[in-house]
Amino acid sequence: MANDPIHQFQIHDLTEKFNIGGYDFSFTNSALFMGAIVAVITGFLLLASSKRALVPGKTQSVGELWYEFVHNMVRQVLGPEGKKFFPLVFSLFSFVLVANMLGMFPYFFTVTSHVIVTASLAVFVVALVVVVGLWKHGLGWFKLFVPHGVPLLILPFISLIEIISFLSRPVSLGLRLFGNMLAGHIVLKVFAGFVVTLGALGIGGVLGAIAPLAMAVALTALEFLVAFLQAFVFAILTCVYLNDALHPGH
Amino acid sequence: MASPQKGKGQPQDDPAGMGDLSERLKDLSGRIQAEKAEYAETRKLPETSMGDATGYAKGYRLVSEFVAGTLVGGLIGYGLDYLFGTMPILFIVFLLLGFGAGILNMARAANRVAPAQDRVGSNPPPPAALDDEEED
Repeated sequence: MANDPIHQFQIHDLTEKFNIGGYDFSFTNSALFMGAIVAVITGFLLLASSKRALVPGKTQSVGELWYEFVHNMVRQVLGPEGKKFFPLVFSLFSFVLVANMLGMFPYFFTVTSHVIVTASLAVFVVALVVVVGLWKHGLGWFKLFVPHGVPLLILPFISLIEIISFLSRPVSLGLRLFGNMLAGHIVLKVFAGFVVTLGALGIGGVLGAIAPLAMAVALTALEFLVAFLQAFVFAILTCVYLNDALHPGH
Repeated sequence: MASPQKGKGQPQDDPAGMGDLSERLKDLSGRIQAEKAEYAETRKLPETSMGDATGYAKGYRLVSEFVAGTLVGGLIGYGLDYLFGTMPILFIVFLLLGFGAGILNMARAANRVAPAQDRVGSNPPPPAALDDEEED
């Protein structure tokens, strides 16, 4: 277990198995941490907004900073009508951010290191873009795939490329978050594993372990940055994609 | 603030009158406007210095856009081949189209190509567009 970098991503049942309609609905460690994420977000925001002081204290400041960060992002990208999507973007950002940050604790499970979680979020976002686009603009929304001023001869190819480009959005959105979290945690584990293995080799090994130890420390800092950045990128791309559906004229 | 320095509101000079009040209101909103502009200026600075950190995110974004485009193109081609039984042909064609889509995604992410949403909606087509009839 000690040196297996993949072990941390294993899903295991916490209760006994139970199936609904042939599907496995057991309560897993992943489900536990998703619950923990929601509990942390809700608990923190309730705590932050409990005092409602005119001059915010420390907790309230963090809460307000969190809110205003997402609020400014939504307003900048989507404009005033984007306000309807603020709750969605805020929830997505908070979920991904807290999932990534909880994953940084030793022995904790990282929900976003599983592609099924990030892909579900990404597919949900892009499906919402299609629904909102069709609802706002009707079938005219499909002109998104038909560029102006392209000769008829090559128009089918350009349209195909545009369609593939659109379809690749959920893939890139989901894969990026998943890949970053998975790769980051594996690299961290591998370097930390070097320290343990080398340290067991005696005095020379301990001296040799200094370099991977320094690396592990530096990577931990980098992982915190990545954890925040990926949540930010996920949220801002959600806004950018929703902008396609909301503001076609621009 | 408390000093009774009235700007241009001197003609009907009643000390607590409406003219004075609206003058002060105008003065206040003017100062708020200036303050806001100044605030917006200072807000811009951290964003550009945060550009280093987001440069890292941008790099990741470019790579994943490209990979995703190629991957999706290849998968579509493979699926169509599987359906029609024309094994390598459509796979190759769609892989190349996906490659193109990946490049387009990347160029768009780097703001080198106008976003697709500019085409939908009411804005008139550029004069070069001779061959689209379905504009309304």
